[in-house]
Amino acid sequence: MKALSKENWLEFIDRLISESGKEVIGVKAKGSKFVFAPLEEAKELRLDYDVTILPPKKQLLPPHEELLTYDITKPFEVLSRMDDQEKILVGVHPYDVMAIHQMDEIYLGTHTDDHYDSRRKNTMIIASDILNVSERSFAGSLGTHVVETGFDLLVTDIGNSMIVNIGSEKGEELISKYAVVRNANPKEIEAVDRLREELPGKYRRKLKVDKYQWEKLLSENYEHPIWEENSKKCLTCGSCTLVCPTCFCYDVQDVVNINLKEGQRMRTWDGCLLREFTAVAGGEVFRETVKERYRHRYYRKGMYLPVRNGFVACVGCGRCATQCLPDIADPLEVMNVLASYSMHEKHDMPIPDVKQKGITDDLLIPEAATIVRKERQTDMETLYVLKLDSGKELGHRPGQFVEVSIFGVGEAPISVSSSPGGETFELLVRRIGDLTTKLETLKIGDKVGIRGPFGNGFDVKELEGKDLLFISGGCGLAPTRSLIEYVFEHRSDFGKVTILYGCKEPGAILFNDDLKRWHDQNDTVLETTVDGCPDGQCWDGNIGVITTLFPRIDFDPASTISIIVGPPVMYKFVIKELKGRNVPDENIIVSLERRMKCGVGKCGHCQMNGIYVCLEGPVFKYKDVKDLPEAF
Amino acid sequence: MKPRVAFFDFASCEGCQLQVVNLEEKILDLIDVVEIVSFREAMKEHSDDYDIAFIEGSIQRPMDEERLKKIRKNAKILVALGACACIGGVNKLRNEWTVDQVKEEVYKDADIEGNDLFDVFPTKAVDEVVDVDFYIPGCPINRNEFVKIVSQIAIGRKPKLPSYPVCVECKKNENICVFELGKFCLGPVTRAGCDAICPSFQDGCEGCRGFLDDPKMNCQKDVLRKYGITLDEMMKRLNMFNYKKGVY
Amino acid sequence: MPEDVNIHVKHLTRVEGHGNIIFNTKNGKVSNVIWEVDEAPRFFEAFVRGKSYHQLSHITSRICGICSIGHSLASLRATEAAMKVEISEQTELLRRLALHGENMQSHSLHVGYLVAPDLLGAPSVVPLVKTHREAVVKIVRLHKLANYLSDLTCGRTIHPITLEVGGFTAIPTEKQLVEVRKQLVQGMEVTGEVAGIVLANADKLPDFQRETEFIGLTNDDHYAYYKGDIASTDGGRWPPEDYLKIANEYVVPQSTAKHSKHNRDSYMVGALARLNLNYRHLTDEAKAVAEMFGLKPVCHNPYMNSVAQLVEIMDSLVDSTKIINELLSRGLKEEKNEMEIRAGRGVGAVEVPRGILFHDYTIDKLGNCIKANCIIPTNQNHGNIQKDMEAIAPTLLGKPEKEIELTLEMLVRAYDPCISCSTHYLNVKFK
Repeated sequence: MKALSKENWLEFIDRLISESGKEVIGVKAKGSKFVFAPLEEAKELRLDYDVTILPPKKQLLPPHEELLTYDITKPFEVLSRMDDQEKILVGVHPYDVMAIHQMDEIYLGTHTDDHYDSRRKNTMIIASDILNVSERSFAGSLGTHVVETGFDLLVTDIGNSMIVNIGSEKGEELISKYAVVRNANPKEIEAVDRLREELPGKYRRKLKVDKYQWEKLLSENYEHPIWEENSKKCLTCGSCTLVCPTCFCYDVQDVVNINLKEGQRMRTWDGCLLREFTAVAGGEVFRETVKERYRHRYYRKGMYLPVRNGFVACVGCGRCATQCLPDIADPLEVMNVLASYSMHEKHDMPIPDVKQKGITDDLLIPEAATIVRKERQTDMETLYVLKLDSGKELGHRPGQFVEVSIFGVGEAPISVSSSPGGETFELLVRRIGDLTTKLETLKIGDKVGIRGPFGNGFDVKELEGKDLLFISGGCGLAPTRSLIEYVFEHRSDFGKVTILYGCKEPGAILFNDDLKRWHDQNDTVLETTVDGCPDGQCWDGNIGVITTLFPRIDFDPASTISIIVGPPVMYKFVIKELKGRNVPDENIIVSLERRMKCGVGKCGHCQMNGIYVCLEGPVFKYKDVKDLPEAF
Repeated sequence: MKPRVAFFDFASCEGCQLQVVNLEEKILDLIDVVEIVSFREAMKEHSDDYDIAFIEGSIQRPMDEERLKKIRKNAKILVALGACACIGGVNKLRNEWTVDQVKEEVYKDADIEGNDLFDVFPTKAVDEVVDVDFYIPGCPINRNEFVKIVSQIAIGRKPKLPSYPVCVECKKNENICVFELGKFCLGPVTRAGCDAICPSFQDGCEGCRGFLDDPKMNCQKDVLRKYGITLDEMMKRLNMFNYKKGVY
Repeated sequence: MPEDVNIHVKHLTRVEGHGNIIFNTKNGKVSNVIWEVDEAPRFFEAFVRGKSYHQLSHITSRICGICSIGHSLASLRATEAAMKVEISEQTELLRRLALHGENMQSHSLHVGYLVAPDLLGAPSVVPLVKTHREAVVKIVRLHKLANYLSDLTCGRTIHPITLEVGGFTAIPTEKQLVEVRKQLVQGMEVTGEVAGIVLANADKLPDFQRETEFIGLTNDDHYAYYKGDIASTDGGRWPPEDYLKIANEYVVPQSTAKHSKHNRDSYMVGALARLNLNYRHLTDEAKAVAEMFGLKPVCHNPYMNSVAQLVEIMDSLVDSTKIINELLSRGLKEEKNEMEIRAGRGVGAVEVPRGILFHDYTIDKLGNCIKANCIIPTNQNHGNIQKDMEAIAPTLLGKPEKEIELTLEMLVRAYDPCISCSTHYLNVKFK
C-alpha cells in the first residue's frame, strides 16, 4: 500500500485532469445528491458521498448510445463508431466495482459487445472505500462493502492521509507518473483495516438470509402473497431497473433525420417493469400483469442470473429502494419477508444446457442480403428468397432465426423457412408491424440487412432413426418447414413422417405446393384442417381445431418425436392430446416465440423466467420447460 | 411525390405551430421532404389539396366542428397537434361550468343572442369530433418528437408514442426526483416523450402530455398523499391538463 | 361610374389568430370597412377562478404561445402584488432577461416571417428561401438566438417552466450566461444587417399618418418592459393599479374581442408606442437603427411599428448583455423561495412584444384565485385598427383591388396582432 498527503492527492487528481489527456469523471455534488460527472478541478471531488443517483454503468453503457449510422440511399455503408475516449472514473464504491465486474462478465463474455468492450478498455477505475453509508444500502450484508480486485487503484481516506491500493499495472503507471507517494506505515494500514471492519456495523438493517440462499428461498416462494401485495402499489415507472448498477437490459430503435437520408440505430436503457418490454408486433404481451413484472425483477436478480452466471445480481447499493416512490423495491425488505414467512413450495426453474454455436464479431451490424424472389402465400404472408451479398451460405440449422433489418424502420426476428445449405435461404413473413409492412413494399433486387442465424435449432442428430410427428398451427409451419425439408432431403435417416397442419381458414394455408409434395413422400402421412371455412373460400377437408386430426393418425409413442410449433394457445391442447396417447415428455419438442431483439441473450426482452428464448430456444425439449411458469 | 402538408388551428394559443417554426434551420430540411401547402400563420398560400393535416387547438363551436369535418374529408392522414387538440388541455377547464354560466359571466352586457361567433358548447378534443390518425401530445409539443413522428410517417412507419411514464426519462437524465425537493409530480402517470423537461428544471410534471393508457392512478394518489398533498391540491393538479369532471 | 369593390379577406394570413377584413365601396364611396374578429373565445378568466396561486402563471401562459413568458410574468407580478411577496434583485434581473428573449423572438418572427414577405413581394417566407436565402438565414439566426436565451432563462421558451411565484425553480449557470452573452454580441451585427435589408425595401411601407394616442409603460431610468407606470403620449402617468381608468372596454358585435379607448376613440400599444414614450432610454445602438429609418417620437404611422420592433431587437440584445454583466459581477446564487399565503388583490403590468398587458388577480386567504381580469395588448389595439382602416380607406379609392387588399392586410399585420389572446379577457365579478 502507498500513502499520500491530502494535498498531494488533490494535486494528483488535478494533474490527471490537466495532463493525462483522459477525461476525469468523479463523484461530485448535484444539489443535495451526488453524481458521476466530468471534474474540472480536484476540489469538486466528494469521496465522502453515500451513493450516486445513477451508478457508473452510465459511463460504460450510456442511457442513449449510437450503435451505428446509416445512409438510407446507401444502406450498407454502415458506420459503427466505437467510443474510445479515455476515461478515469474516480470514487467508485466497492459495490459499484463489483457491479461493473458483473457487467463485464455479461458484455464481454460469450458474444462480446464491441461498444461496451471499447469503452471498458478505455476506462480506468479509481475506487474508494465507503466513508458514509447510504440509508437504504445493505452492502454490509452482501459483502459488497469492500472489494479486493476489479480496480486500477483503490483509495481510502483515513483522515489525514489517503492510502492507495494498487490493483493493476495501469494503476501503477498512473501513480508513478502523476503522484507523489510514499509507502504506507503500519499505523496507516491498520487504520484502513479498521475502517473496513467497522463498516458493516454502520448499516442499520441486516439481511436475514445469506445471499447464497436467495436462490433456494426464491425457488420456494414463487406464489408468495408479497408479490401481489406489493405490486398493488407499483407505479411500473421502471425507476428501480434504471438506477440499478446490475441491470443492463436495452432496447434498439432506428431514428431517421428530418431529411429522410441519414439515420442512426440507437440503443437505450429498457426495463422489465415496463409493459411493452415483452410486447411483440402482433400485440401479445408475455408478461402482462404488474405482479408478474414486479416479481420477475427479484427472480432475475436473485435466481436466474445467479444460476446462469454464478453471482447474485444485486450489490446492495440501495438505489432502487431510495428512488422507489411507493417504497416497494427494497430487496432487503422483500427477502427478509420471504425468509421469515417462507411458503416452502418448491418450484425449480432450471436453465437447459444447450451447446451454443459460436457467433463471431460484428454482432450488431447487419450484413446485406438481396431479395431474389418474392412469392405471395396468403393475404398477410409472403415468402422471400434471399441471398447474402457476400455469397456465403447462411449456415443455419433448422429452427434458427435471423434478425431482418430495414434501416430507418427497424429490425424484426424471422425464423428461417428453408433447410440448410444452398446459396439462398427463405423467410416466410407475416405483415404485422412497421418492418414487415415495409418489407412487403420491397422488390426483387432490393436489399435488407441480416444478422444471425441465432438461437437453438432442432438437434437433427438426436432425431435420426426416429419416427417424426410434426404438429403445426398457422405460421408455425414456417420454422417447421426448415426441418421437414431437411428430413426429406435425408429421408433414409428418419423413420415414418406424420405432418398435421391446421389454420384458421383455407385462405390462410401456407406452402400449398410443398404440402402436396410432402403428402406424396415415402412413408409419409399428411393431414390438414381449418377452424372454419368462410363464404367465398373452398374446402373439402377436415373442419375443426388441430386436435381433431389426432383420431386419424397412428403412431408409436415410444419411438415418435413430436414437434409442436404454433400460436401460444395451441400448445396446451396438443400436449394434452399427446399425453393422452402416452407420449413421454422427452419425446416432445416445442418451438416458442417471444420478443427476440438482440438475438444473443443481452437485451433481455425474450426472457421466459430465467431462460433466454434466443439462446436456449426457440426450440426446446418439452421436459425442460414444462414446469416453467412463463412458458405456456 | 412529396406528401402535401397543411396546418390548421382552432381554439389554441398557436404555441404548437410556433414550435414548428422554432425548428429554425431544420425547417429547410422539412420543406425538402414535405410540401407545406397551407400554414395560415406564416403563409398566404393555401390549397385544399393536402395529404396530411395537422390540427392544433380544441373545438368550441358548431362552426368549428364544420370546418374540422371538411378538413377530415380532405386529408388522408389527420394528426392532432398539441394538448388542446389531443386531450383538450387547459381549454377543457371551463367545462367545470355550464356553457350558459360561462357565457352569462363573460358577455352578460353584450347582445350576442343568435350570433354564431359566440355559440359555444363544452370544449372538445379533436377526436371527439373526427377520427384522428396520430397524436403529437404536449403543451407545447416537443420539437424532436414532432420531427420523429413526421419522419416516421414519411418513411412509411406507424408512429407509436411511448407507453411508459415520464419517470423513465427523468431517471435517464439523472434528475433529482422533485418529490425530494418538496414538489408534487404527475410524472409516474404521464406519458413520456418530453424528455422529462419540467422535472429537469426542478418543476413537477403537470401531465400536459396526457395520462398513460393504463395509468396507475391509485398508486400515484397514494404517493402524493405520502408526500403530504391535500385532497384539494391533488384534484387541482390532476384536473389541470386532463380535466375530467368528477373522475379522479 | 367606378365599379363597386367588395373585398373580404377571411382569416387573414401571417397574423396570430383569426381576423377578417371587409371593405366595400358603392357608387365610388366607401360603404363599409370592418375589422372583424371571429376567433373562438376560450374564457380564461372564467376558469382560473378557484385555481391555486402557484398554478395561475402556468395556466395563463397558455393564453398565448408567442408571449407566454410575458403572460407568465404579468401573472406572477399580479400574484406577488396580491400576496405581498417580495422578489430578489437577482430574480428581477433574470426575469428582465427572459422578457428580452421573448421580445427578440417575437419581433424577429414578425419582421422576418410575417412582414418581410410583403416588403419583398412574396406570399410567404417559403419562396424567400430560394430568392433571398441570405436574408432568411440571418432572420433564422436571430430567432434561434432569441429562443436560446429564453430556453436558458425559463427552461423552455413556449410556456416557461422555471418561473414561479417568488423566484425561479432553477437558474442558469454563470458559464451558460457567458456563452449566451458571446452570441448576443454576434447577434447585434446580424441585426444591423437585417435592418439594412428592411431599409432597402422600406419604400413599400405606406406613408400613412393618423394622430393617435399611444399607451405604454414608462420608467425613469430604463426602457420599460418588466415594470413601470402607465403613460400616454397625450400626457399623464398612472400606477398599474389604475389600469381600468385607461383601458375602458366595450363590446362591438363583429368581434368576440372587446375594444378599448382612453382619451380618444381608440389608442395604440406596442413597439411604436413604447418607442414614442421611451425613446430617450434606448441604447445608443438601438437609436442608431431608428435613425437609419428617420424614426423618432412621436411617430403616428402604424406601419412603422415593424421598424420600431427592429429597433427593439437591437435594444434587447444590448440590454441583455448589460443585464448579464450585472448578474455575473454579483455572482449567481441559489435562492430559496419561501412565502406566506395572504389574501389580496394585485395588478401586474408588463410590456409584452405587442404592447402593454395587464393581469389583475384577487386571491383569497387559502391562496386561491377568486377573480381575474386580463387586458391583452391586442384588445387595446382592435379599436385603433378599426379607426386606422376607416381613415386609410378613402385614400385607396380608385386603386387596383389587389393593392387595396394588400395595403389593408399590411396595416393589420403592422400591429402584429395576437388575436387568440385578445378573446380572453373578462371584466366580470365571479360569484
